[in-house]
Amino acid sequence: MNWFIKGIRMGVKTEDDYHHETKWPSRLTRVKGGEITCPTDAIGEEWKQERCIFCRACEPVFLPTGETLTPRVERTDVTFKRSFYLYPLDAGSCGGCNLELRLISSPQYDMTRFGIFFTNTPKHADALLIMGNLGKRMEEVIRRAYDVMPSPKLVILLGTCAISGGVTGIPPDIRGDVIVPGCPPTPASILDALIKTKGGERE
Amino acid sequence: MRVIGDIGPYCLTSDGLREGPCIKDQSEEESLGYGSFKFVYGPSAGGLLESVGFEITTYGESIEKINHLPYKGRQITLSGLTIGDALLRVERINGAFTASHSISFLQAIESALEIEVPHDVVISRMAQLELERIRNNLLVIQRVLESASFLVPSFLLLQQIEEVNRAIARSCGHRYFFGANYPGGVRCELKLPSLKISDIERTLENRIFIDRLQGNGVVKDSFSIGPVARASGFKYDARLDSDFLAYKDFDLRIPTQDQGDAFSRILVRLEEIKESLRLLQELKVKPCSFTMKIRDGEGIGRVESPSGDLAYLTRVRSGHVERTYLLAPSKVNMRLFLKSMPGNIFTDFPFNWESFGIWISELEVDLE
Repeated sequence: MNWFIKGIRMGVKTEDDYHHETKWPSRLTRVKGGEITCPTDAIGEEWKQERCIFCRACEPVFLPTGETLTPRVERTDVTFKRSFYLYPLDAGSCGGCNLELRLISSPQYDMTRFGIFFTNTPKHADALLIMGNLGKRMEEVIRRAYDVMPSPKLVILLGTCAISGGVTGIPPDIRGDVIVPGCPPTPASILDALIKTKGGERE
Repeated sequence: MRVIGDIGPYCLTSDGLREGPCIKDQSEEESLGYGSFKFVYGPSAGGLLESVGFEITTYGESIEKINHLPYKGRQITLSGLTIGDALLRVERINGAFTASHSISFLQAIESALEIEVPHDVVISRMAQLELERIRNNLLVIQRVLESASFLVPSFLLLQQIEEVNRAIARSCGHRYFFGANYPGGVRCELKLPSLKISDIERTLENRIFIDRLQGNGVVKDSFSIGPVARASGFKYDARLDSDFLAYKDFDLRIPTQDQGDAFSRILVRLEEIKESLRLLQELKVKPCSFTMKIRDGEGIGRVESPSGDLAYLTRVRSGHVERTYLLAPSKVNMRLFLKSMPGNIFTDFPFNWESFGIWISELEVDLE
């Protein structure tokens, strides 16, 4: 079997618009009044997507809109515009973020068309992508990975566990330049965040 | 009777609980001879999906001994929580096996509360477990292909995994079954993924690929579970002896192989995907709810997760979880993986490791 020919015969699977309606997680909106007990205090004056674990406890006062969550990008660097190398680091996740991150390389999303790649060592990385709660022995692993990265470097926090701890633990003690909410974030929202971070516009 | 694994201080067998541990710890610390040395692979390396460390003892090329070093372990407290709040945490023990964890946990609760579950709920839970099995088995095959640098088939598999995830999202609202189950009901419908199984089958005909897997990581142990047991000829499957789920009504076929190597494990997983798809076509799934009783008691729930038996032993008191023990399939499989590795060489490591489908998240979690 010649995989090259087979690949060509399959045709193009990559999607121009990779956004798909997924109800949970997506942007929530209040549709009626009422008291709610939120397990992560994501609902106060307003809905805080960074704290939300999308557990559906606030249904039917809040309902999902199906719109992809928006990342918060606080810092970027023009150096990354053409190529952006990520080093994923699992600090203590459930595995959901790991899988969703892996799927941005699937043909439907195809991260490489946007100049985004994974690297196997932090020494080649432009951004450290941290997932999960702070695991028992992960503090030093995170610090050492960050220290060996060349500047300029960014820290991306992926998922509620890494941003605010969620329900399963505490977040790693590191400041994120980019925050990607979701439990776990969908591949579409991860890809949106990465494209915005590297400073390139979607074509 | 077959031994399944340790659950808290007990040993779970197919006949019930007995005093644990299942296997006495053989802590013989034999040191190797002159010239041997140890090195650590991990905890964070590009080839690993999760953070985990291995301490490998070697003279050079071949692996003589291997130990697991925990890093990413979390401590999750369930005691004292309401069933609903505990379920939120149980769902997040292992995102890849959320349906297995939450259904097994709820079964333990329902057994403790002596609740008869409606047939529609049973069918919906079976559909979730089979969708999860398909997704996970595709992932295991994809990980092995990626380890072999077979990138075109690897991306083909990733495409199909994404198709399954979208089907799960259309069925249950969430791509990883978070919130699909709740105490007293299920929210799922069933939208089947469109998969091209013949493409995956053709991948596994490649001689170069087969050579990397055959004879790699052979393990034949009667104390094994899931695809690892079935790849070495043991017809073990929680679906065969489950009283909670109605698999017996569907004439379930359990594929087995007898070599016990990484290739057999991949073949078993591929056959399971086909069987799960057949089963899903026969299931009629709709959302359903039932009333929960308040009662004190203790119960066990067990399901066949994509990597083998997964069980919860839970005690409930006045609507709150008092104590929970977990039997994570990855714990049993890790013992078998460590046993299968000596005698193989370094380049065999990723193929063998991925063929077990072990999740560190559920292996290293401490439940309180």
